[in-house]
Amino acid sequence: MSVLRNLAVAASACVFAFSAYAQSSNLPRHETLIVENPEGTIKNPGWFNYWAVNAGGRSTGLHQLAMDTFWYIDPNYGIDGVWDNSLASEKPIYNADFTEMTVKLRSGIHWSDGVEFSADDVLYTINTHMNTNGLFWSAPIQINVASIEAPDKNTVVFKLKKPNSRFHALFTVRWNGMWMMPRHVFEKAGDPLKFAFNPPVSIGPYTLHSFDNNGKWFTWQKREDWKRTTVARYGEPGPKYVTYMDPGPPDKRVIAQLNHELDIIHDVAPEGMFTLAKQSKTSRGWFKGFPYAHPDPTLPSVILNHQNELFQNKDVRWALALLIDIKAVSMASYRGAATISAIAIPPTGTQPDFYHEPMETWLTDFEIDTGKSKYKPYDPTAGKQIADMLRPSMGDQIPSDPKQIAKAFGRGWWKPNPQVATELLERAGFTKRGDAWYTPKGQPFTIRITTEGESRPVMTRAGSMIAQQWRQFGIDAKIVVAEGGNLIFVRAAGDYEAIMSWSVETWGGHPDLSFFLDSWHSQFVAKPGSPQPPRNWQRWSNPELDKLIEQIRGIGFDDPKGVEIGKEYIKLTVREMPVIPLMAYNVFTVMDETYWTGYPNAETDPYTDPVPNWANTKYMMVKLRPRQK
Amino acid sequence: MQSINVYIVKRLGQFFLVVFIGINIVFFVTHATPIDPVEHSIMAAAMFGSTSPEAINMLREALADLYGLKGSLWDQYWTFWKRIAVADFGPSVSSFPTPVSTLIGRAIPWTVGLLLTAVIISWVVGNILGGLAGYYRENRLLKAAGVVAMGLHPIPYYIIAFVLLIIFGYLWPVLPLGGGYQRNMTPGWNLPFIGSVITHGFLPALSLVLVGFGAWFMGMRALVSNIVTEDYVVYAELAGVDRNRILGSYVMRNALVPQITGLGMSLGAIFNGAIITEQVFGYPGVGTLLVSAVHAGDYSLVIGITTISIIGVAGAVLVIDLLYPLLDPRVKIG
Repeated sequence: MSVLRNLAVAASACVFAFSAYAQSSNLPRHETLIVENPEGTIKNPGWFNYWAVNAGGRSTGLHQLAMDTFWYIDPNYGIDGVWDNSLASEKPIYNADFTEMTVKLRSGIHWSDGVEFSADDVLYTINTHMNTNGLFWSAPIQINVASIEAPDKNTVVFKLKKPNSRFHALFTVRWNGMWMMPRHVFEKAGDPLKFAFNPPVSIGPYTLHSFDNNGKWFTWQKREDWKRTTVARYGEPGPKYVTYMDPGPPDKRVIAQLNHELDIIHDVAPEGMFTLAKQSKTSRGWFKGFPYAHPDPTLPSVILNHQNELFQNKDVRWALALLIDIKAVSMASYRGAATISAIAIPPTGTQPDFYHEPMETWLTDFEIDTGKSKYKPYDPTAGKQIADMLRPSMGDQIPSDPKQIAKAFGRGWWKPNPQVATELLERAGFTKRGDAWYTPKGQPFTIRITTEGESRPVMTRAGSMIAQQWRQFGIDAKIVVAEGGNLIFVRAAGDYEAIMSWSVETWGGHPDLSFFLDSWHSQFVAKPGSPQPPRNWQRWSNPELDKLIEQIRGIGFDDPKGVEIGKEYIKLTVREMPVIPLMAYNVFTVMDETYWTGYPNAETDPYTDPVPNWANTKYMMVKLRPRQK
Repeated sequence: MQSINVYIVKRLGQFFLVVFIGINIVFFVTHATPIDPVEHSIMAAAMFGSTSPEAINMLREALADLYGLKGSLWDQYWTFWKRIAVADFGPSVSSFPTPVSTLIGRAIPWTVGLLLTAVIISWVVGNILGGLAGYYRENRLLKAAGVVAMGLHPIPYYIIAFVLLIIFGYLWPVLPLGGGYQRNMTPGWNLPFIGSVITHGFLPALSLVLVGFGAWFMGMRALVSNIVTEDYVVYAELAGVDRNRILGSYVMRNALVPQITGLGMSLGAIFNGAIITEQVFGYPGVGTLLVSAVHAGDYSLVIGITTISIIGVAGAVLVIDLLYPLLDPRVKIG
């Protein structure tokens, strides 16, 4: 018995010793916000020089907590409006022909080593990018900037090589922006491409506390002089420490949050979200109930390759759209937790107020003439139908107020109609023999939809469902998988027929569409075989679209005409269907309220995007408050 | 004596030939991949922020120049061998300009520490228990050990890893879910840090031992089961030689030779890293580094890791070949 007793004592001692060393951190938990960094393990963790392309981590807290630039645009409604003057004290001031931009700088902002931020830092940042090839923003600066000068320590004037009414976008954070460099550090560092910037000198409210040499975590500590940073206008940041970490695969993220060891999960599969909603009373998504997820200002679509002759006829593109049942796609991809959009604008942030809602009447009246019949394809109740389908199983979690349904599930979509699709395909010269469709050249009509496989299962499931629906109609449609991040190469090379991806991304909070639309100008469409620069992956060119883009280039960023031109863009893309829009990219960011409250949410305080790899989440820090003392 | 020298020279020749061919294959395979590191960097840079197509084209030119990817395949091949000759793998393209050797040097102690420990523990435990089970075939405890070994062996590794995680990380959370050591701790040769490393490595090592020991156990048991029917064992038993001595000196010693070969191969292969272990347990090491290098098209890093792996495996085979004559007198030279 004594042996057994000794063994039991020894085992208890081991467990006790293990437990002591098994604590995940030695910092006070109630003062630490723990956040997932979706970049995973950073293989070069000691590199903090953001300006060198992809040499180290970015959303390790570096750009959320330690960087700053002139302006921020919020993807939702903002902490004090969508636009925030950060290092700048005013909005950009352009001259009449957009060849000069003046920036008034905020005074009293200091780097973490005590040096005051001034126009010298801006001059140094711009001149370094003008004189060095291969930095993150070298190319746009060299293309746009003729010279820069500082009439005083709080003013800089950019002289541009050519008119550019959106030059300020370079310095406006939507995920990231061109960050300012500390001149007093970099000018002594030698080659800016080879300087690690370790430890980083911060201009944000936090400074680096410690990091893992293996790249698993980075911890930031609130600056004692946080009042000398730009977010101080909104109060003191709540967390004393913020740790960004790689929590591992989705199952481990869920376990970590159930153990209250991970306050913010960046993203999990819908099933992971449902588990957390069920098992953890303190976990919540952007929406308190279903569909939980935050719709990012990104629009997953079926992108058709316009350099493939099969998809050059809009009748074919429309026929394919009319064979998709969006309800089935929503259920297959997000288990119903999708926010659908019939138009080529993500249904997120303030975009529905500017575009989706005002366009409803036009969309309802929109008519397709097949030559044999006329058809009004828009079904304004598609979102409601998805909500109704989910209500029996999800109960009260599904809203019944039409406005809430529109916000959570989207508005309308296209009614599937195989007969109209048949008429459109026949007009395009396609024929049906037996159960199979044939191209005008007599070949079987095959479509390969490229997906990312298990790397992005939600989009893969959507692609599989669409392929199945097209197959049922007699088109030989299949998905092919570009696994392990290869989709971006296939997409850029144009080496696909159809692809599940997105070519539409907006500011989210601001109605200006130039963020993605300028790149859709035909001047940027690559020749077949050459890499396509972002974001016109469909390689669509259209003279009418070019005119709209040129009109946007000619007006100011806040000019109300921008919204009107945006509506013309929507009408054009509905008529032409260059991509088949599906839904917002819903991110299942899950926030645990055990230690912190004040997270942004859809219902009461949509002050920023909760998705923690966005640099805009710096505003979250000033709203978070500790739950426990 | 001359025959030993010839034997050693032949084996050394084989070693260098294997390493040379292996490294060449790695070079050409990595350069045949469709992943372009420049495009990867561009896409990563342009994925979220504001970008103009004109700027992207300009950046493409600048990065190709910076990463040294201009020039023909043969130019790159020639530069590559010049670097290999001085043990320099060049800068990592996906972590430019950090040298590949720095990245590998940072990761490899974790991989070697974990896998070396796990392989040796599973080898020792598996062989001892397997040998005993093969010799004392009626022992109930050893029979039970056989059932456990046979039961665990076919279970996919990641299932075992996740079950351990759920048990010790969630249901009875006494062990950490991931990482190499406690967050915010300063690494150093002190008790708290060493304790933290052992605690964090415990679950990954246990998972590897549980899966690995079954193969050694079953292999050893089968070998011993054959050897115990050999005449010299039967005669020894009939002559009344102590059974433990028969097991140690007559049976296990003979059965160990193929197991040592297996151990050598396993030790050589540890330089590949344990990719699934690292992913599931969030443990640092070269496996994760290799996966991220492949995804980023980082030729130099992939070549660096695989070269070390090739040298590790070929080196282990060389050592075994050289040791064989000492371990087993039946191996003839010449």
